[in-house]
Amino acid sequence: MGFFSGLGAEKYDRQYSDKILFSRIIDYFKMQSFRLIIIALMIVLRAGIDAVTPVVVARGLDRVTQQTITLQFILILSGITLGLGVISWAANLLLRRNAARTIAELIRKLATDAFKASVRQDLSFHDYFSSGKIVSRITSDTREFGQLITLTTDVLMQLISSIILAVILFQTQWRLALAVMALVPLLLLLVMQYRNAARKVTREGMRAMANVNATIKETISGIAVAKNFRQEESIYDEFDDANQTSYKVNIRRGLILSIVFPIMRVIGGIATALMVYFGAISVTQGIVSAGAWYLFLSTLDRFMYPVMSISSFWTQVQTGLSAAERIFALIDADHSVNQTDDLKPSDLEGRIDMRHVYFSYTDDEPVLRDFSLHIKPGETLALVGHTGAGKTSIGRLIARFYEFQEGVIEIDGIDIRQFNLVALRQQMGIVSQAPFLFSGTVEENITYGCPGCQPKEIMRVANQIGDGEWLETLPNGLDTQVGERGSQLSMGQRQLVALMRVLIQKPSIFILDEATASIDPFTETQIQTALDLILSETTSILIAHRLSTVKSADRILVMQNGEIIEEGNHQQLLDRGEHYAELYNTYFRHQSLAYVEESKKYAKAD
Amino acid sequence: MTAPTADAISEISFKAKYKTNRNGPGVWILSHAIHQWPFILMAVLGAIGNAALASVVPIYIGRAFNEILKTPPSLSLIGRYAIIIGGSQIIRGLLQFGRNFGFEIIAQKIERMVRQELYINLLGKSMTFHNLQSVGDLMARATNDVREVNYMFSPGFNLVVGSLNFLFIPLFVGPTYHPALIITPLAFIVLYVFALWHYLTILNPITGNVRSTFGQLNSRLAEAIDGVEVVKGAAQEDAEIERFSDNAIAYRDASVRQGDVESRFLPMLLLAITLGIGLLHALLLLQQGAITIGDVIAYFGTLSLLGFPTSTSLFAYSQISLGFAGARRILELIDTENILDQNVDGYTGTINGKIQFKNVAFGYEEDEPNLKNINLEFEPGQTVAIVGQTGSGKTSLVKLINRTFDVQSGKVLVDDIDVRDWYLESLRNQISIIEQDVFLFSRSIADNIAFGKPDASKEEIIHAAKEAQAHDFIMSFDKGYDTVIGERGATLSGGQRQRLALARAFLTSPRILILDDSTSAIDSETEDNIQQAIFRAAEGRTTLIITHRLSQIRWANQIVVLRQGQIAAVGNHEELMQTSKSYQRIFRE
Repeated sequence: MGFFSGLGAEKYDRQYSDKILFSRIIDYFKMQSFRLIIIALMIVLRAGIDAVTPVVVARGLDRVTQQTITLQFILILSGITLGLGVISWAANLLLRRNAARTIAELIRKLATDAFKASVRQDLSFHDYFSSGKIVSRITSDTREFGQLITLTTDVLMQLISSIILAVILFQTQWRLALAVMALVPLLLLLVMQYRNAARKVTREGMRAMANVNATIKETISGIAVAKNFRQEESIYDEFDDANQTSYKVNIRRGLILSIVFPIMRVIGGIATALMVYFGAISVTQGIVSAGAWYLFLSTLDRFMYPVMSISSFWTQVQTGLSAAERIFALIDADHSVNQTDDLKPSDLEGRIDMRHVYFSYTDDEPVLRDFSLHIKPGETLALVGHTGAGKTSIGRLIARFYEFQEGVIEIDGIDIRQFNLVALRQQMGIVSQAPFLFSGTVEENITYGCPGCQPKEIMRVANQIGDGEWLETLPNGLDTQVGERGSQLSMGQRQLVALMRVLIQKPSIFILDEATASIDPFTETQIQTALDLILSETTSILIAHRLSTVKSADRILVMQNGEIIEEGNHQQLLDRGEHYAELYNTYFRHQSLAYVEESKKYAKAD
Repeated sequence: MTAPTADAISEISFKAKYKTNRNGPGVWILSHAIHQWPFILMAVLGAIGNAALASVVPIYIGRAFNEILKTPPSLSLIGRYAIIIGGSQIIRGLLQFGRNFGFEIIAQKIERMVRQELYINLLGKSMTFHNLQSVGDLMARATNDVREVNYMFSPGFNLVVGSLNFLFIPLFVGPTYHPALIITPLAFIVLYVFALWHYLTILNPITGNVRSTFGQLNSRLAEAIDGVEVVKGAAQEDAEIERFSDNAIAYRDASVRQGDVESRFLPMLLLAITLGIGLLHALLLLQQGAITIGDVIAYFGTLSLLGFPTSTSLFAYSQISLGFAGARRILELIDTENILDQNVDGYTGTINGKIQFKNVAFGYEEDEPNLKNINLEFEPGQTVAIVGQTGSGKTSLVKLINRTFDVQSGKVLVDDIDVRDWYLESLRNQISIIEQDVFLFSRSIADNIAFGKPDASKEEIIHAAKEAQAHDFIMSFDKGYDTVIGERGATLSGGQRQRLALARAFLTSPRILILDDSTSAIDSETEDNIQQAIFRAAEGRTTLIITHRLSQIRWANQIVVLRQGQIAAVGNHEELMQTSKSYQRIFRE
């Protein structure tokens, strides 16, 4: 699993021409050209030694057969053999050290650039593309590309070594060399056939594995339920089925994968036998020397494995290059929110004006049309309406998460496009519908937007809410670990932490997309306290889902299809008995105490 | 259900093909492997034969070389050598296949049996265990770790066993030419073992470090991208980039350290030296006339065969140690203590519905009580609302009743009988728990409703669904009751899943219903449906509801307010409005 993830094309993907792609890749190597030169030299050195060593031995044998041998000759011959081996080892050491550094640095740089680009991307980008796929581009694709480098050095080495050896063989005796080379197409054919079969069974094997994993996942999650109803046998059968199927498929896969090396072994053995016999004939006819005959015998094997790795190299190059292409596409993806100036407000009053704003997420579905709205400094504004009415979009435009197409948005009379985004958002407290916490302590999360905040200040704010009672529910108070994405805390606690973040940050403008999750009544009252504290100090825009929030607003806007259709406070609008009254009946009625009182009727009703 | 075996105390038992020894990862793997002895025999014979026949090639090339130097050489003799070489390599191919496929079969069979053993063991574990264990961790062990055990055999043991034989070839072949020729291969083996041991000891902690730095990088990365709205909202892009950059540097440095260790692979140097010295030694003997040129060639050829064990040891041994670590983790899981047992001889009978807690204390860890001093009494047929903040012990409290957990001290009584004295199956059959996160299987809706009563008729299922206010939304799907639910019920809302669970309960008609209710209704009409379903379900049985719903709290016969594991208040609505300040606060508009 996870094997093919991240391969799916995304909208921001682009095709780079080979020229551009390679120049981009070369850019990443530029800082490391010294290492690359060493790597290249070492590849050639090792390949040369690999090819030359058997030749040295063979030539030595020739001399041994022709003359009486001296001690000096023995020392030179074995000295050269040993020396070549040691140099080859040292060259390999240098090669690998430098390759490891080059690749690790390349991966680091690519991943950091990709991350930088993703985190700076507009929110619209992140809404559209799944985070899992972005993450996979930053980690898997960069590593995949790194592997291509390792692979290339290996294949290059084998290739150079084979070519040098082939040249030597042809110079020694071209007919015998030709006979050796005849092996190559035969092997190529075999390898191609084998690769097709192997790919098929491997795919089947992986599918069967994925199926087992999915079954285990589902049934393990369901074990508690199964136990509750004592249905263990039925889920065991389901597992057993998948397990047996996977076994059968993978045995077949094993059979195919086990067969290739033995076949090559057999081919190699027969080729050696032929070379022994026909080579010997050539020796007796004086065509080649005994030493050359030995050279052919000892190098036959050397052409077999390069054929295998080179034949699969091309697909791997393509995989690696498309990984690089995916990373560059992520880095190059266009932004839609662009600023025209760099104003850094020190303190905002919180006056917001939207005039004749047009906004749509996609070209054909306008969300806001000619929308105008004035929010007074310090005002608390609640937005209500059905899903899709455009409530969330207003908050997102004011937070400058999205680009609008026409009209003007001003904060304190200054065009929103003129602000420095970081400085602007430091003046805003934004709480989204599903509050997100980072793994770490509660305190680290509260100070997320304000890294320099003092612990004393945190305690002061914490104690403002229900006398700090909420801290008692955390096992280690402010030092409690919240777990990945805040999973160790309840929804209510997460919301409290998110609100505390805002309280500490003291923004001028507060934008809240209220959560719909159900929260225990005690935490609910604490959240209300925190909310009241924030509302009293900021200009607030609330996308409201709770009755108490709507009631606490100075002004309620009822929205429909991107337009304001009613305005007023809770009581005024309810008395009018139109749109708001209808919304109230649909979404808020069951939150009232009156509803609670009459709910008993359901126990009796038929 | 079969009776518990002496094997282990377990909630359920399935028959496995054979028993395994769980005293340690080594013996455990061995006790699995021993059952594959025919294949082990085949694989090992294949491995030995493969290595032995590999030596035929250099030996006969050496002989052929000697022959060619004679005047005149006998071509027919050389021809016979060629046939021996060719024939032996064909047989060797067969043996090598036997080795490869043999190990592959062993690996697959063991993977299957290990997974089965683990799975049966997991099924037998108590609900306590499953409630405490994270699904992700179980998954990792049942999939990745089991896979690692497979890889330990193929390619792990396959290459180790296959290549180790090659170490001995020059040891046997050398002395046939001259006794002194044993020295070089012998020295190689000794030094090779040391060099390899040294290499693996250094490499292990470093690869661990690579894994952990990558883990760190990846998990923060995933969080930062998932929480990108918070990052932007709090204007923390640069801080996150900084953090990522630091993590990336740590990962890079760890990878470089691994590369450095791998580049200094000493056995490779050892091999180069061995070949040089071996050649020197053989040539010296040749000069003295102690051996022939053909012997030198054969000896040098067999020394070259040492290349195979040298290069495979780069990764084959780490593969085995990974498999070993995987086996250890699986065994840890299997060995995790199982506290509850079925109590087959315990009390059986129809539950009336009275529940008492007497001085109950409970904690997941010994000295960290989640609940203490709990004294409660619920009458048959009562509806009890349990309220409190997260971590106040609500869930632990109700799960003591069906023995998902057992008390640490005090006791829980159902119908005046200690739950530990009940026959577990009888107790659980009559108690239905509806969890906060309702789990549905990827089967049809009808099958999911009938999960606890597989023989239920279609009419019964529909009736139950109607009672649970689920019929209307079920019929809104194209396939109605035959709709297959996506994994984890992804296509249904929380409220809909809860109502399917309620339908399950209507069908099995438990005597005690425990409902962990934390769904929220988006609109008032859905809320009406949920209210109706819950009030209906509570009729005629003792019902405990962990709830956030004010209406459930308002109309319960008893309300238990928990705070930090203790009872903060208990009574009905009117009483609590008088006595509890924090209770009053939640009913204030």
